[in-house]
Amino acid sequence: MPVAFAFPRLAGPLLALALAIPAAALLPGPAPAQEPLFYDVPYAPGQWRYGRRLDESQLRYCVDRRDPDWEVAAAIADAIALGLLLEPRRHVVESKLVLEDITRVYQVMLEHCDLHMGFKLIPGGYGGWATLTRAYYEAEYVFVTADPDIQALADLPPGRPIGTTMGTSAHLRLVSYLMAVPADERWPAYPMGTNVLALESLLGGTVDVALVWAPSLWAKQREEPAYADLRVIDPTPLPPTTLGVGALLLSDETFLRTAIDEAIAALTEDGTIAGILETYGFPATAEP
Amino acid sequence: MSIKGKLLAASAITLSLCASSVFGQDAAIDKITPVTDEMLTNPPDGDWLMWRRTYNGWGYSPLDQINKDNVGDLRLAWAWAMTPGRTQETPLAHDGIIYIQNSDQLIQALDGATGDLIWEYQYELPDDVDPRGIRNKAIYGDKLIIGTRDAHLIALDAKTGQLIWDKQVANSDFGYSFSSGPMVVNGVVVQGTTGCGGGQPGGCFFTGHDVNTGAEVWRVHTIARGDTPEGNSWNGVPLESRHGASAWIPGTYDAEQNLVFAGVGQPYPWNTEMAGLTPPSSDPNVTNEALYTNSTLAIDPGTGEVKWYFQHLPTDSLDLDYVYERLLIDLPVDGQERKLSVTTGKIGIVEAIDRTTGEWLWHVETAPQNVVLSIDPETGAKEINPEVIPVIGETTFNCPADPGAKAWQATAYSPRTQALYLPTVEFCSDTTVNPLDPGEIYTGGGRQTYSRVPVPDSDGNIGQVRAINLTDLSEMWQYRQRPPITSSTLPTGGGLVFVGSLDRKFMAFDDETGEKLWESGKLSSSLESFPITYEAGGKQYVAIVANFASGLGRLASLTPEVKLPSNDPITLYVFALPD
Repeated sequence: MPVAFAFPRLAGPLLALALAIPAAALLPGPAPAQEPLFYDVPYAPGQWRYGRRLDESQLRYCVDRRDPDWEVAAAIADAIALGLLLEPRRHVVESKLVLEDITRVYQVMLEHCDLHMGFKLIPGGYGGWATLTRAYYEAEYVFVTADPDIQALADLPPGRPIGTTMGTSAHLRLVSYLMAVPADERWPAYPMGTNVLALESLLGGTVDVALVWAPSLWAKQREEPAYADLRVIDPTPLPPTTLGVGALLLSDETFLRTAIDEAIAALTEDGTIAGILETYGFPATAEP
Repeated sequence: MSIKGKLLAASAITLSLCASSVFGQDAAIDKITPVTDEMLTNPPDGDWLMWRRTYNGWGYSPLDQINKDNVGDLRLAWAWAMTPGRTQETPLAHDGIIYIQNSDQLIQALDGATGDLIWEYQYELPDDVDPRGIRNKAIYGDKLIIGTRDAHLIALDAKTGQLIWDKQVANSDFGYSFSSGPMVVNGVVVQGTTGCGGGQPGGCFFTGHDVNTGAEVWRVHTIARGDTPEGNSWNGVPLESRHGASAWIPGTYDAEQNLVFAGVGQPYPWNTEMAGLTPPSSDPNVTNEALYTNSTLAIDPGTGEVKWYFQHLPTDSLDLDYVYERLLIDLPVDGQERKLSVTTGKIGIVEAIDRTTGEWLWHVETAPQNVVLSIDPETGAKEINPEVIPVIGETTFNCPADPGAKAWQATAYSPRTQALYLPTVEFCSDTTVNPLDPGEIYTGGGRQTYSRVPVPDSDGNIGQVRAINLTDLSEMWQYRQRPPITSSTLPTGGGLVFVGSLDRKFMAFDDETGEKLWESGKLSSSLESFPITYEAGGKQYVAIVANFASGLGRLASLTPEVKLPSNDPITLYVFALPD
């Protein structure tokens, strides 16, 4: 079935957008800016070699195999491309590095893609070189335990530690809460470098509860039976921490961003993204 | 054979061909002598054999052919284009040969008089490791010892560039890296590690290696462990929740005591609430200084034993490293001759401790700062301004901001003037704690956002060179200009102090008065590196690498009028007097 007919409400405006994208691609692409490359502006070796791309009929997107949602994100990106009447061209980032600085994405995008899937919509969380699409799903940070006596965070006795992926919005919320309560009512919050390390600290018994990104828990439970018994508990007395996830583009890609935003809106409204999330059993929602 | 193996083999063939072809045209490399312990302790005047030239870290050269009277005639002798990228290079000079390390880990030997290439060796980095330069390298015997971005140490034959050994010190998949190279003490290669963030908890380390094989002989962790007062200084968080304490600047060495003095960086993440260091634990056996962050370690280079430590800034919440150079200077204090270890942290406060005991001696404030309210004259304990400590949900104002009033650009000491020469910058920051976990893999550093602003009532001059007389702690002179000073200082026996700046200028000052005696034309990029001077063929040369290194260039938002090329060119410039 022709893609435009699969999304009848998209067909008119997106057809126009699809026709316009090649023209936009003729504009200077993600080439080096004409301003000095200071610290907050990323640098990629040989970046001056990258110029205008010629494959205007394709939507080049990146997913990173280290991301827990990379397969889900790839399916959503395929849907966005098809909605824009573009040929999806996937690049899967492969690396053994556990963590990388956000500026590394700049190099990946110069080399491989127009949008990189899988970034949280954090106000002020990105430098001026990057921009984000609207969210294509929303997911939560979750408190997790293997202790059958703990149904809610409030059940955790003071003094028993929480292992939290450090630097997350949920970590900040937890720390702010702990600073506000009397010392004898606090739980120690142990910062863990990654979601995986936080979950490992839970399995290893260092902590009684872990605070992690729900998609990370989902991925570990798919991959490793050892994580099967971990349960998400009620965050009370804290409210849930939810963040939208979208795709990152270089900030000069304003036209493409607008097109993708409209595609995400349409794909959300017609249930396409919700269907993808359901297919994977993914712990997120597609919010209009 | 693996692809890497084939590449290495091909490189070896290429290198051997290259070496044989150049030997015919230039025999300077044949004349280099093995570097002995005695030479490292008392280097020939014309050599620059380690990061700051001598074990005491002074960064001073006795060469005086170029002096106050003739520096105005200084001219470009030759230049060498290096691989574009980012680096903070210190060339090394021995017997008239210059050794440099490019940002892509291409190591080259050049004739110091002519700038001609003698040999080169390409170290192959893994694809996913950012190719960036390493601040320094070491030479010992016939070996050039190099650190790499993927945390390997390699030894090359100084005459031919042939690989002698290659030792992986740490797994770069977890973020471990080197940004500085090693020093060699009595046949032991001493190397510090950086990149100890969330990928691998437990902190960084110094390692000691056999110079003949690269084999590791000891390892010192920079985060204290165990049930000791030091190990219990992390507010009760377990080892897997302790991060940071990078060892990213080389140490100095006191032969009399057989001790290496080296600095350790700050804890990660910078915000103490996130790091679990606050609120303070109610356990009476637990403290929250986070040892050995921001400390001076006195390390036995033979065994790795930490003889003592002194922490300059406990419970750091502002990324205010005390990792930088420790200068070993003997001067009177209160009428009594003392053996000092002098360091300057990002706050810009020059601090001296007794290097035989770790006892606090004195301090001198330089650039404007609002972090430290007072310092106990007996213990050196700092009273921190509570208003500058970042708090989640608030924006705080601190001077300086994260790059520091004094950053990795090293200070230098001249025995001619008994003065310390500091490259400094003046600026402040509106600081906000941010959740910066944008991706699962891609994170945002120390998780605080610094919006850099001028110092209140600033005269507009961001950059300074300051000369502090260390005998009476008075300021001898101060040079001010708008663009940040971005290189280390280089005092010489000719009564000069060389320094470079963000706006691509290399300058020479009178070491006693601060009068600017010479200024280069605009070079190819900012000068964020370590200038050296050396002798080749009986003639003195001054060398500096022009490059952008993302250090004090972070102040570009304060000096937007300074434009730099976007492709990050790197060029080694060498200056000399006309024949």
